Amino acid sequence: MMKQIKKRATLLLSLFFFFSANLSAQSGDGPTYEDILDGFNDPSRWLTYSGDYSGRRHSPLTQITPENADQLRSIWTFQSGTTTRGRGWETTPLLDDGVLYVTGSNNYAWAIDARTGRAFWEYRRNLPDDLTYGASAPVNRGFGMLGNQLFMVTLDAHLLSFDRRTGEVLWERELADYRVGYSATAAPLILDNKVIVGISGGEYQTRGFIDAFDPVSGERIWRFNTIPGPGEPGSESWPNDPQVLAQGGGGTWMNGSFDPDLNLIYWGVGNPNPDYYDETRPGDNLYTDSLVALDANTGELRWHYQFTPHDVNDWDSNHMPVLANIEWQGDQRRVVMVGNRNGFFYVLDRVTGEFLLGEPFTATTWAREIGEDGRPVVLNDGSLGCLPDPWGSTNFYPPTFVPGLDLFILTARETCATYVPEEPANTPGQSNFGGTVFIDSASGYGALRALDIHTGALEWEFRYPSPTFGGVMSTAAGLVFAGDHEGNFMAFDAESGKNVWHYQTGSRIWGAAAITYMLDGLQYVMIPSGTTLTAFALRSP
Amino acid sequence: MKDLINTLGLCSRILVLFFLPLVGFHSSFGQELNPLEGDPRAARVGGSIFRAQCATCHGADAMGIDSIDAPDLTQIFTRPGSSEQDVFQTIREGIPGSIMPPHAFPEAEIWMLVSYLRSVGVSGFTGQIQGDPDRGMFLFSENCETCHRMNGQGGSLGPNLSMIAAVRSEDAIINSIRDPSAIIGRQYKPVSVLAEGNVRFRGIIKSEDAFSIQVLGTNQVLRGFRKSTLQELVYEDQSVMTTFNESALNGRDLTDILSYLQSNL
Repeated sequence: MMKQIKKRATLLLSLFFFFSANLSAQSGDGPTYEDILDGFNDPSRWLTYSGDYSGRRHSPLTQITPENADQLRSIWTFQSGTTTRGRGWETTPLLDDGVLYVTGSNNYAWAIDARTGRAFWEYRRNLPDDLTYGASAPVNRGFGMLGNQLFMVTLDAHLLSFDRRTGEVLWERELADYRVGYSATAAPLILDNKVIVGISGGEYQTRGFIDAFDPVSGERIWRFNTIPGPGEPGSESWPNDPQVLAQGGGGTWMNGSFDPDLNLIYWGVGNPNPDYYDETRPGDNLYTDSLVALDANTGELRWHYQFTPHDVNDWDSNHMPVLANIEWQGDQRRVVMVGNRNGFFYVLDRVTGEFLLGEPFTATTWAREIGEDGRPVVLNDGSLGCLPDPWGSTNFYPPTFVPGLDLFILTARETCATYVPEEPANTPGQSNFGGTVFIDSASGYGALRALDIHTGALEWEFRYPSPTFGGVMSTAAGLVFAGDHEGNFMAFDAESGKNVWHYQTGSRIWGAAAITYMLDGLQYVMIPSGTTLTAFALRSP
Repeated sequence: MKDLINTLGLCSRILVLFFLPLVGFHSSFGQELNPLEGDPRAARVGGSIFRAQCATCHGADAMGIDSIDAPDLTQIFTRPGSSEQDVFQTIREGIPGSIMPPHAFPEAEIWMLVSYLRSVGVSGFTGQIQGDPDRGMFLFSENCETCHRMNGQGGSLGPNLSMIAAVRSEDAIINSIRDPSAIIGRQYKPVSVLAEGNVRFRGIIKSEDAFSIQVLGTNQVLRGFRKSTLQELVYEDQSVMTTFNESALNGRDLTDILSYLQSNL
């Protein structure tokens, strides 16, 4: 029986604890780069957005199985008190040493006791009154963590460093001027002494970039501009007009993955500006709607692949690039896989960027196929009927890769939209879509789809009533966890697609994917939804 | 209680009516500077209004009530960039989406409230400290830095002291150093637990409910416990901060440390 005592401790006792505390001060120094590299080898942690650098979101944990998943129960719920109406809570919590570090809508953030769901501290940024919402919504997708520091980007386009023990801001740096339309929402990617961040604002007069910062000094180490400057490689894909290039868009608002052996960062680039109106920007408009592979030390472009040349449908390519080493037509290949907003699933060689596969995963009528040269054979520019809507055939929310089954599992959206372009006003601080989209909302639906990575063939699907924005996670027990637009958090058998468990969270699961970890001998699964973060396990601790 | 509050509210209105003709500020409202600045009567009447209208949430001493997240208003002017105009606007417009409502008080009454809050607001050092800041910096690094942060350097167990000279008086700081357990701030209440495996963990309480407790340990690690797993839970009244008596830090040492704290502003 526990004793609860109120007492005046003796000085001697205080001194004892003071010295013993100092002796153990080394134990809480937080994760190193090597710890993040170690990824899922220590499943008591979740140290980076996808759990490891590969972007697969595939955990080795096996306590929860397809056979016992129906016994999952909620252990605790955390209420954020803040949300993004119309969207949701898009964050991926990080976990280290029993503490969850979580960002929320409107630039709130917390350290939460993973055992009980109680907050150690809460942070809220005082945002300016004239925020431009360059990110379209006041969301945030998570912290980066290194040592005792946390890193978070803000809606007014700053990068903050926090003391993870207190939530105190250690330093902040402006990424770009929010009044123009820049904003930031992506989880920082932490490398060896680098904090990599992206930027939002592709609907505004912005020029996208990827930045690397020194975690201690906060100084910028390099910047990669996603729209080339006049005369730079790639500028030939734009009109010869510096002003058009300076406002070319190309946001980088979803974080990327990293190959430590190749020392390459893989990061998606968003739409050209304006979105639908293209009279001012003939050409392919590099590096919009592309995957770029950057040297982690210098930020130099090693290769790129453009999924949607000359995009007029707002099909940003801001996706988690998924890395795997697989057998490909008899050879071992290091590949990167992307389920793209344009409706095609791609496999590329991640050393060279060579195109290996591009197959549709939705009933898109936009392109018949991706040619051998890697360019889409466009069938329908919109004049022959409806196209996938601007939210896309999938979106930034994470997919998962199940290695043993060689399945790429993602949330697909079947939609039908008609685009009517119109010359925009093009005003600083004002969004600049350049037209109107008419969406046939009655015909849309969503589906969890499992694709054979060698062929792109659909192996199984589970349909949802409406186009869905929930992310996906998988485990080595053969489970897939996904969320839907109606608020269900669900578990599926990865091999068959059979639903084995569901839990109504009470609000749509939007932009977020689950995490899982071991704590005190129990495997937990966690999902944010609406204003709640819920932890599940097979039994109460 | 509600009747009392209403009565106080009525009283304050009457006071204001008496007060109004004394100051010719009808043309001064809506400006950025407090037209009543420096007038002790404004703070006095503002105090009456505060106790009638604001104290239910912010406390009669204006130091806030934790359970409803009502902030300590004696600290309001210590926030970076906080101005009297900001406080005026917050009183008038409230904080949308929070428990803090807008108030349709006459502008004169709002300025009186601002005057009152200014009068009870904490202030920093009252004079220039005649000490050696360089020696103070050395003493700080030797004695304080393990737990306190200054300019990005130092520990996280105690408060960041970078701006302390703007917020606390010299006497308050000396008292904290000489007798840290006399007054322990809300976020620094000491606790000691004996967890499973006879593991002792001591620190400060960051959060607690009936079944669990969340602690920042003296080893500066966050740790949560289910109370059912604890063998012992001791709410202590001795601060986790070391007591520095005359033999540890003498009067000159303290003066030099204060000088260093002040030099940082």
